[in-house]
Formats: sequence, C-alpha cells, structure tokens
Amino acid sequence: MNLIRVVFLFTNYRDIKCDLPAGASFAVVDESITAAVNECVSLWKALRQKSNCHIIQSNVALPYHRVFGNYETAAVWGATHVLRQFNLNLAKALAPGVSLLDMDFLASVYGRRRWHDSRFWYHSKHAFALDATGLVAHQLAKTMGAIKGTAKKCLVLDLDNTLWGGVIADDGLEGIALGHGATGEAFVDFQRYLLKLKERGIILAVCSKNEEDIAKEAFLKHPDMVLKLEDIVVFKANWKDKASNIREIAESLNIGLDSMVFVDDNPAERELVTFSLPMVSVVPMPEDPSDYIDALCSGSYFETVLFSDEDTVRSTYYRSNIERAGFQSQFSDLSDYLRSLNMDMIVGQFDEFHLPRIAQLINKSNQFHLTTTRYTESEIGAIAHDKGRTGLYFKLKDRFGDNGLIAAVILCKQPDASMVIDTWVMSCRVLSRTVEEFICSEIISVARQRKCRKVIGKYIPTAKNKLVADLYGRLHFHRTNETQGTALWELSLKEDSPRYSSFIKKIKFETKTTGGLK
Amino acid sequence: MGTRLEIKTRLNRVFREVFEDDSIEIFDAMTAKDIPEWDSLMHIILVVAVEKEFIVRLNAAEVGHLKNVSEMLDLLAERSCRGKQ
Repeated sequence: MNLIRVVFLFTNYRDIKCDLPAGASFAVVDESITAAVNECVSLWKALRQKSNCHIIQSNVALPYHRVFGNYETAAVWGATHVLRQFNLNLAKALAPGVSLLDMDFLASVYGRRRWHDSRFWYHSKHAFALDATGLVAHQLAKTMGAIKGTAKKCLVLDLDNTLWGGVIADDGLEGIALGHGATGEAFVDFQRYLLKLKERGIILAVCSKNEEDIAKEAFLKHPDMVLKLEDIVVFKANWKDKASNIREIAESLNIGLDSMVFVDDNPAERELVTFSLPMVSVVPMPEDPSDYIDALCSGSYFETVLFSDEDTVRSTYYRSNIERAGFQSQFSDLSDYLRSLNMDMIVGQFDEFHLPRIAQLINKSNQFHLTTTRYTESEIGAIAHDKGRTGLYFKLKDRFGDNGLIAAVILCKQPDASMVIDTWVMSCRVLSRTVEEFICSEIISVARQRKCRKVIGKYIPTAKNKLVADLYGRLHFHRTNETQGTALWELSLKEDSPRYSSFIKKIKFETKTTGGLK
Repeated sequence: MGTRLEIKTRLNRVFREVFEDDSIEIFDAMTAKDIPEWDSLMHIILVVAVEKEFIVRLNAAEVGHLKNVSEMLDLLAERSCRGKQ
C-alpha cells in the first residue's frame, strides 16, 4: 500500500487573534485578518521545508457566543464577520499541497450550539463536542481519500422512481411525476443536482429495466426533464440483471467497478448489486424523493481536493470514445482505423498550468499505473525544478475531438547513466491507440538527450494494474530481474532503438513556462 | 433514578461498554489507576457515556473531579434526587 503523509492543522476560533474594537475601520480589520492568514501560510511553509507531507488545514468553526448578537455579522469589525472573512481569505491563500477542511460547515451540520461544548474545552481543550468526532473523522477520511485518489468517477442511475415518479412504461409520458406537484419538483431538483455533478466531471450512466425506446422517450420528449440524452454517457435499458449491466458499463468506460456509485429506489436491486458487486458503492436511498440529494451528499462519494479544466469536459471525452468505437467498426483493418483517426500529440514538461491535472492523473490512475507512485501537487512541482528528473505530460487530439491530458511520465536519471521510469500513468480511455508506443519513443529520446546508456522500466504488481504487466515486454525491453515483487525491465540505448509503429503525430513540444512555478 | 445499588449496576455496564471489557467490576475506591486504558481522552468518553445513560449533564468542575467510582455514585445519586423534585 502507498502511504500518504498528512499533517492535520486543526484551528479553532480561539487561535485567531483578531480581537478588534467595536467600530474599527475596514483597513484595520483587513490588516488584522491578513496577519492571521499569513501566520497559517508561514506555518505551511515551515512544514513543507521539513517534509513533503500533504497539509490539511481546517478553517474555524464560528462560535455560538456573540457579543453583539445578530448584528455581529453585519459590522465589518464584528467577531462573526471577521471569522467568516478569515475563513474566506484562508481558502484564497491555499497553496499546492494544502487542502482545506471545512470545519465550519461540519459545525453547522452538527448544530452549532451542540458543537461547542465549553466544558470539555475548559477541562481538556477539546474544541468540539465529543459526539461530533464521527462527523469530523468521516470528512477527514474522505478528504484523505480524495488526496489519495479513491474518489468515485461514475454514477449509475435507475430511471423509474429514481429520476421521475412512477413507471414510464405503465404511466406513460404524461403520467410520470416530474415537474409538477411536490414529488415532481423533488425529482426535477434531483436531476438538477445530477447535472451539476456531470458538469464537474462525474460520468452519468443509466441502468434501467425498461424498453430502450420508451425509456429514451422521456429524455427526448418530456418538457421537464433536466437531464438530456447527451448527458448520459452509457445508456442501458434492457431486461438483464443490473449487476451485469453495471459490469458492462464499467468495461465500456474502461474504469474500475470500485469507482462506481449505484442509485436505485428499489431495495431489491440495491441488494443484488451489493451482493454481486461489493466493490460498487450502493447509495442507501430514502423513500422520499425529497431526500434523494441528501442521501448522495451524506455519502461524500465525490470528494475532491482539486479541480481541473479536464473535469468539465470529461463526459465529452467518454462520449467521443463511444463514437470512436462505432467508427472503428467500419474498418476491417485496425491500422486503417488508427490512421484515419488523425491523432496529434502535444508533449510538454511539467508546469504550473498543468499541475492540477497531472496530480489528478497520477493519483487517480490504478489500472495503467506501472509503479503505484502517488505524488502531491507540491511534489510534482518540485519535480519540475529538479535537474535530475524529467516530468512529461501528453495531450492527445483526434478527429473526434480533444482527449485532453491523458498521460504523464516521470523519469529519474541515475548516477550510472541509466534513466529510470519512476512513474508512467495513462488514462485508460486512450488504450489500444498506439499511445504507449508514442510515449516510449519520447522516453527514449529524452534518455538519449540526457546521455543515458539505458532505460529501466519497473512494474510493481497490484490487484488492479495487471493490464500493464507486460507493457515493457511489448515495447521490446528485456526482463532483467525481480526484487521484492518489482519486475525490472531494461532497454539498452547502445544500439538502435526499436521502431515502434505508432499512428500519432507529434505536433509540438511545449516548453516549460519560465518563472511559472514558485 | 433508583437506589445506589441500581445506579452502581448501570454504571458498571457503562464502564464495561466504554472500556470494552466485560470483566470489569467497579468498586467504590476504584480510580483511573485501576484501569490502564483510563486516560484523559477515555475519561471524557466515559463522562459522555455516563451523561447519556443517566440523562444528566455534568458541569465542568464535575467532569474534572470524578476521581473515583464512589464520587461518581454520590454525584449520580444526588442528581437523581434533584431530578425528582
């Protein structure tokens, strides 16, 4: 298992020295808050100088006690106003490698009055009620999971009584509850929430026991449907069991079953999926559709510590992939198909601009990940500045559109003039398109430029990365030995390198933006 | 809330649950020294569990001063009287 080192900085309102006189001017208030935030920032810096740990910084849970009562929020110098502003400025000051834990949100969820139990503060400096520990621990665990890349990627949705009330095949297009009435409004709101998830990069799929035409009719014709067919990447409406359907959805998207979340109002279906696919997260759906969003939220399935532009268009990538599959079926010869895709690759060295996406790719990839390494954003930033190491990212375009940043490689030159491939991750949505061959040529060319005599590839087997067990073999590396479960592969650069057949054209080599990284 | 013996029986159950040890038999002179796991954090967990079992709220001083089982029993017996008024 890969360990991530995390330092948790738990701050409570008593730590924030912003006690301002009533009537203080905005300038004075602002200066005081800035000083308090800077204190946190310098603590992060000091920590980061000593170690490469990831920092989770809590904001402050606002107190229950107010000297000015309700007015305390309205006045810029009021303690409530000042602490709120501190929380906002703290969020703005976050640096790579520092994530925020929204303690104030947790306090409000738990109930602010119950959250503050002064007895335990006076007795032993416990800053919040003991019974809130579970809530804090849950959020902290989910946040650490997000740092480590265990968040879910795909939401599989049932239709009848999940996206609308009633059964479309029985009740008809006009008969389902959607849009009007309390229940109808609840379903519309649930769909709006799902659409927001889709827009932030969660893949939506449908899995319903229905006739496909009838099921799709609602999407095409019902005026109050918020979700449209193009929001759904994979649509399964048939009479097969749901476990098989979910398995097929995972396969067609090339993602692991453990990154899927299943939503169904029917307890029997949930039971079946829980039993046959224990790695799929099954949401315990409440009976009332008014509570559907709550159920999704309280599971914290989709926690994240970063967001990249890739996320907003992820659904498009997966949809284009399915179009590509359709296009491929027109070709009898694979190389004809690959040639006709007109693939162009941009290769670049790690920079500030691509940092979030690179971190996301390295930390979320499980299947195409040779060495199981995980790096925080700050560690990746450090690689960009390290002369001994080279970080490369790869962005692929083709006739169906932009695939985005789909691979990253970290190379470490050793004193014995060998180039070790420390990390090689690739998005599985570009498998079987000669991307591996292309990347390997790039690795070899970097190794030659850096005057290396050989390239060394490592493979550390896990439960999930069997896909790449023979990657280096396929790329004509020679297996040298195996130490502690790590298979080592070597490619000598003394003679001519193998000629890989790749159908990808390199269009440019993006150079590091100068001064971008701090 | 009942007699001192009834309170002791219930308190014993709380101790067993909190320290996850069914062999615990509390006695009047028992203190934190008699249970190795009874540290400052467990003390708070114990206090919260006692509060829940007996539906009482202890004040800050009481939280800190429950030195031994006998004092706890006295306090709970006293609260139980107050509660009946």
